[in-house]
Amino acid sequence: MASVEALAPPSSTAPVASQAPLSLLKRLQRPRVTLSLLLLMWVPLTASVMFGGYVGEAFRTWVMLPAIPATVALYVIAVASWRESTIAMVGVSLVFFWLFIAVAVPFLPLIDPNKPLAPFAGIGVERSGHLFLLGADLKGRDMLSRVLWGCQRVLVWGVTATLVAYIVGSMLGLMAGYLAKWWDQAISFIANVLLSFPVMVLFILILNYLGASGFNIVIAVTFASAPAIMRIVRGLTLDTKTRDYIFAAQTRGEHPLRIMIFELLPNARGPIIVDACLRLGYTTVAITTLTFLGLGLQPPDPDWGLMIKEAAKVAMLWKFAYMLLIPALSVSSLILGFNLMADGLREMSLRD
Amino acid sequence: MASRKPGTSDHPKVHEAFRLMKSGRMDRREFIRVAALLGTSATAAYAIAGLPEPAFAASNLPFGPDDPKAKTGGILKIAMAVQKMEDPATYSWVEMSNQTRHTLEYLVMTGPDNVTRPMLAESWTAAEDLKTWTFSLRKGVMWHTGEELTADHIKWNVERWLDPKTASSNVGLSVFSAMVDTTDEKDAKGKPIKRMTKGAIEVIDKYTIRFHLNKPVLSAPEDCYNYPTAIAHPSFKPPLSDNMIGTGPFQLAEFRVGDRCILKRVTKMKDGKDFNYWGGKVYLDEIHYYNFEADNQLPAFASGDVDGVYQFTVEQMDLAKSLPGVIHVARTAQTIACRMQVDQKPFSDKRIRQAVCMSVDNEKVKKLVYGDAGDVGQNHHVAPVHPDFQALAPLKRDTAKAKQLLKEAGAENLEITIDVGNTDGPWHQTVAEAMRDQMKEAGITLKINVMPAAKYWEVWTKTPFGITAWTHRPLGTMAMSLAYRTGVAWNETHYANPEFDKALDAAEATLDVNERKPKLAKAAQILQDDCIMIMPLFRPIYTIVTKNVQGYEGHPTQYHQFNKVWKA
Amino acid sequence: MLKLIGNRLLQMLLIMAVVSLVIFAIFDSDRFKRQIAVSELGGFAVETLSDQDYQAWLDRKGLNVPFYERYLKWVSGVVTGDLGRSFEKDEPVSRLLRDRLINTGVLAFWVFALMVPISLTLGIIAGMKEGAFRDRAVSFIAVLTTSMPEIATAIILTVIFALGLQWVPANSAMVNGWDWRQLALPVGTLVLYDFGYVTRMTRASMAEVMTSQYIRTAVLKGLPHRRVILRHALRNALIAPFTIIALQLNWILSGVVVVEVFFEYAGFGKMLLDAALFGDVYVIQAATLVAVFVAVVSQIISDVGYTFLNPRIRFS
Repeated sequence: MASVEALAPPSSTAPVASQAPLSLLKRLQRPRVTLSLLLLMWVPLTASVMFGGYVGEAFRTWVMLPAIPATVALYVIAVASWRESTIAMVGVSLVFFWLFIAVAVPFLPLIDPNKPLAPFAGIGVERSGHLFLLGADLKGRDMLSRVLWGCQRVLVWGVTATLVAYIVGSMLGLMAGYLAKWWDQAISFIANVLLSFPVMVLFILILNYLGASGFNIVIAVTFASAPAIMRIVRGLTLDTKTRDYIFAAQTRGEHPLRIMIFELLPNARGPIIVDACLRLGYTTVAITTLTFLGLGLQPPDPDWGLMIKEAAKVAMLWKFAYMLLIPALSVSSLILGFNLMADGLREMSLRD
Repeated sequence: MASRKPGTSDHPKVHEAFRLMKSGRMDRREFIRVAALLGTSATAAYAIAGLPEPAFAASNLPFGPDDPKAKTGGILKIAMAVQKMEDPATYSWVEMSNQTRHTLEYLVMTGPDNVTRPMLAESWTAAEDLKTWTFSLRKGVMWHTGEELTADHIKWNVERWLDPKTASSNVGLSVFSAMVDTTDEKDAKGKPIKRMTKGAIEVIDKYTIRFHLNKPVLSAPEDCYNYPTAIAHPSFKPPLSDNMIGTGPFQLAEFRVGDRCILKRVTKMKDGKDFNYWGGKVYLDEIHYYNFEADNQLPAFASGDVDGVYQFTVEQMDLAKSLPGVIHVARTAQTIACRMQVDQKPFSDKRIRQAVCMSVDNEKVKKLVYGDAGDVGQNHHVAPVHPDFQALAPLKRDTAKAKQLLKEAGAENLEITIDVGNTDGPWHQTVAEAMRDQMKEAGITLKINVMPAAKYWEVWTKTPFGITAWTHRPLGTMAMSLAYRTGVAWNETHYANPEFDKALDAAEATLDVNERKPKLAKAAQILQDDCIMIMPLFRPIYTIVTKNVQGYEGHPTQYHQFNKVWKA
Repeated sequence: MLKLIGNRLLQMLLIMAVVSLVIFAIFDSDRFKRQIAVSELGGFAVETLSDQDYQAWLDRKGLNVPFYERYLKWVSGVVTGDLGRSFEKDEPVSRLLRDRLINTGVLAFWVFALMVPISLTLGIIAGMKEGAFRDRAVSFIAVLTTSMPEIATAIILTVIFALGLQWVPANSAMVNGWDWRQLALPVGTLVLYDFGYVTRMTRASMAEVMTSQYIRTAVLKGLPHRRVILRHALRNALIAPFTIIALQLNWILSGVVVVEVFFEYAGFGKMLLDAALFGDVYVIQAATLVAVFVAVVSQIISDVGYTFLNPRIRFS
C-alpha cells in the first residue's frame, strides 16, 4: 500500500543506521511490519462492528485483544515518524486516542451502553446503584459508556467508506489517465454529472433509495467522493505518464494494469495522503450528519450521530444540554485530529 | 342524593338497566352511559343514577358549562401536523379532522368521559328491537350560508357516505353497514358491490330523520361521532379546503398544507346577517394550527411559539415537566400488538407462542415505558377504559415453564426477530428492548429489526413477528372484531379460530353491556390462551398547554373540542 | 470565452436531462407509489383498499400512467414553467420551490454578507505576516471551526445562546411571522462552519503574494507598508479567494439541509429532505434541477472570474 511508505519518510531524521543492530523502532517502521500492524488493528475492529451481530459477545471481545498492542505500536511509529511537526503530532494523538478507545472499549469497566437505568440523570448523579460520570441520556443509558462505544462505528464505517472511495476513485482515475481517449471522456462525463450535485443532495437521494445502513453509506460516500479522487489521480497520471520510466516499463512489455498500480500510483502518494486525512474528516462529518437526519446508521447500538438525533427532541433545556454537547464535542475532536494530521503532513512535505 | 326513576319517554332498555343498577349488577357510570346512548338526556341520566352531573349546562349542550371568569377574545396556537382537507367522509387521520371539527359538526359528540351527548341532533330514540333509530335535530341551527339545517341535509350526507363511489370508511361502522345491502352488481374484480338499502333513510319532517337498519345496533349514536362523519353542506365538492361551509363557530381563514391552518370565529353569515351560534358562548377569536411533526411539537412549545401541542411522547416527559405549563393525561385504549403469525414457523407451534408470552412480565414493561400512567394489557385487545371490560385472571411470568415448553417443542435457545417500525413513537423500540432483556432469561434471543415507519407499513401484514399500533376505539368489541375474526382485512396474525368467532358474535349480539361483559371476557380468554400476541399496555396520551389556557381537556382519541376554551 | 460558457451551459442541460431521467425512473417504482399511499391514507387504510380502489387512487393522483408518458408530460411542463404538483404539500411545485428558495436565499445572503468580510479580513491579516502570532491564532481558530460539523456548531450555539443566555429563540419556524432574531442561529452556524476554509485560502494566497518579487521590491524601495498592501498585494491576493467564494454558493445548498432541519427553518434544504423521505418525486426533480443549475453556474462564475481577474491569463 502506497500510504505505508509515507510513514517512514525516505529522508528520515531517525538515528543513523551506523548503530548496529537496527533499533526496534526502525524495525517497526519497515513497510511490511507497519502494514501487518495496521491489519492487526483494523481487521478485528471492522469485523466486530460490521459482523458483530452474527457472533457471540464473548468472541467479539476476545477477538479485539491483539488489536490493542497493535494500536499502541502504531501510535509510537506515527509519533516517531512525524516528530518534526507538532501539529501532526497533536492530530495523530487525537485520532489515536479514539482508535485506542475503539479497540479497548470491550475491556474497559463500563456499564452496558444499551441498558436503560435512570432517565435524565444529570452529570455526576448516582442512581440505581451506578454513578453516572457523564450523566444518563433520555432512556437512562450511561452517557460515558455510550460515547466511548460510539466511536467504534463512526471510525469503522468512516474509514471503510473512504477506503472504498479511494480504491474506486483511484482505479477510475488511472484508467482515465492512462487508457484510451474515450475511457477518459466517458469516465470524466460521469464524474461531472456526480460532481454537479451538491453533496447532501446526492447522499439523500442515494440513501433514501437504498435504505439507511452502514453498507449503504459506504456506497453513497463512494459516489460522492470517488469523482474528486478520480480527478486528482487522473491529473497525476496524465502528468507522469509521459515520464521516462513509464516508457521503460512499457518497452519491457509490462501489463498496463501493473504499470498503473506499481509505477504511477506510488508517485502520487504525497498529495493523496494529505487528501486522505482531509477526506476522512469529511466522511466523518457526512456520517454523523446523515445519521442525525435519519438516513444513516440505525439504532439501537450507540453512535454519536444517533445520540444527537435522539437527544435533539427531548433535551432542549439548559440542564439537559449535556446530552447534546457530549457527542457533538466528541465528533469534533476526532475530525480535528484528522484535519491537524493533514495540515501537519502537508507542512512536512512542503519542507522536504 | 334522591334519585329519580326512568320515565315513559325513556327506552325500555333504560328501565332494564335501571333495574340492574338498583340491584347492584351495573355500576352507576355504566348506567349513565347506556342511558345516554339510548336517548335519555345526560342530565336525566345523571339524576336517575343519583350522581351529581359534572357541571353540565342543563340546556342540553354538549360543551360543558360557561365559565363566569372566562374572557372573550384571544388566539389559541397549537402545534400539530397540518394536513390536506379533501373530503371529510374519506378522512384518514385525526389531525385533519381537528382542523375541520370547529366548522363542520356532528350529530352527536362523545366527550372525554366516554359519554355521548346531543350536538346537531337534540335527542334520539330507538325502537325496542334497536333496528330503528329516530334523530330529532335542533331547531335554529344555521349554516354559514344563512340557511337553516334540516333533515334533508343529513340525508344528503348519509347517502353520500353509503355511496360506493365516495369510498368512505364510514360504511364499516356498525350503524352504516346495517344500512347497506350486497347487490348483484360486481366490480371490476368480481367482488359484489354494496349499496344503500332502499328506504333506509326516511325524512319524517323538517327536523326529524329516521334510520331503518337491517340488524340491531346499539352504538348508532356513538358511530356518528367517528371523525369521518362530519356533516357537510350539500353544496360540498372536494377539496373541502376550497370552500369550507359548516354549522360551527369557526371558519377557515388561511390554509397551507404542511404550514398552517388559521380558523377565525364566524360573526356574519353569507347573507350579511349576524351569525348566532346554536352552541352558546364561544370565547376564542381564533384557533391557529402550525405545522410541526410529532417529535418537534414539544420543542416548539418550549420555544414559546405555541400555546399547546397535539401530543408529546413519553420520552419527552422529563422535558415537559421542566417547562411552565399544564400537562394533561388522557386514559385510552391505544396500544401495540406484538403479534405473531400463527401460520408461520416457529410461531405455528402453540408451545413456542406460549413460551414467548410467558417469558414477559407485562406489568414490568408498562412500568418501564410509562411508569404509573397507562394500563397493563393482558394480551387481549379489551382495555380497562372500555365499558365492556372484565378483568381476567392475572398473567404470571414463568421463565422456568417457558424453558420447559421450548424444550418440549425442540426449540431450546430459540432465536427470533421482531420488526419494529416505531410508527407512533420510539416507545415501540423501548418495549421491544425490554422484552428482549426479559426473554433472555427464558433462553430466547430476540433480535430487534428497526425500520423506518413507512417501511413497516409495507410489511405489517406480512411479518411473522412485528409491533403494530392500534388506536383507541370506544367499545371493547370493536378492535377484537377488526383484528381477530377469521379472514377480516386487518387480521395480521392470520388467526382463525371458529370458537373465538362464535364467542365474539355472542358478545356483539348482546346489547346489554352488563351481559356483554362476561361474554366478551370469554372471547378474550380464548384469545389469551392461544397466545397470539403480547399486548403489554394501553398507553396514555399526553398533551401540554400553557398556564393561561383554561377549559382544556385531553381526549382519548385526540379530538379537539375547544368551544369552552379561553385564554386568561 | 463566450464559447466556453456556452459549452458549459450545454453540458449542464445534458446533465440535467440525464439526472432527471434517472430520478424519475427510481421513484416510479411500485414501492414509492405505495409509500405515498401510506403517507396519505394511513397504513390500515391502504391494507383495506381493494386492488381496484388502489388503482383508482393511483389514477386520481396521476400515478397510473406509464413511465415515459409521465416523464414527457413533466418535461413539457418544465418548459412552460409547470413543475407539477407536490403530493405531500398539495400545491404547485413552482410555488413551493419559489417560497423555499426565497427563504434559503435570505439565509444565504446574510451568510455571505457576514462570512466574506470576516474571512477576507482575517485571511489578509494572517497572511500579511506569515508565522506571526496572529497568523497562528487565526489559523488555529479556522482549523477548529472547520473541524466541527454543522450539527455540532448548531448544538453549541443553541446551548450557549438560546438555552443558556436566552438571547435568541431556539428554533426558527417563523410561526408568528418573520422574526429576525430567529435567523441568528442558522446564519451563525453556517458562517462559523464556512469561514474557516475561505480564511485559510485567503491567508495562503496572501502569504504567497507577500513573498513575490514585486512586493518585496516595493517594500525595499521604501513604499509605506500599508500602501503596498492596499494597492498592490490585495488585488492579486484576492483572486483565488474570489473563486473559492463563488464555489461556496454551491456548498451552501448542501450545508443548509442539516441547519434548516435542526432549526425547523422552512427553506430549500428542509423541503428537499421532506420530499425525499416522502417520495414526492416532482419536488425532488425540481430541487435537483435547481441544485445542478446552481452548481454549474457557480463553477462558471468561479472559472470565468479567475480567468478575468488574473492578469497573467487575461493578457496572455
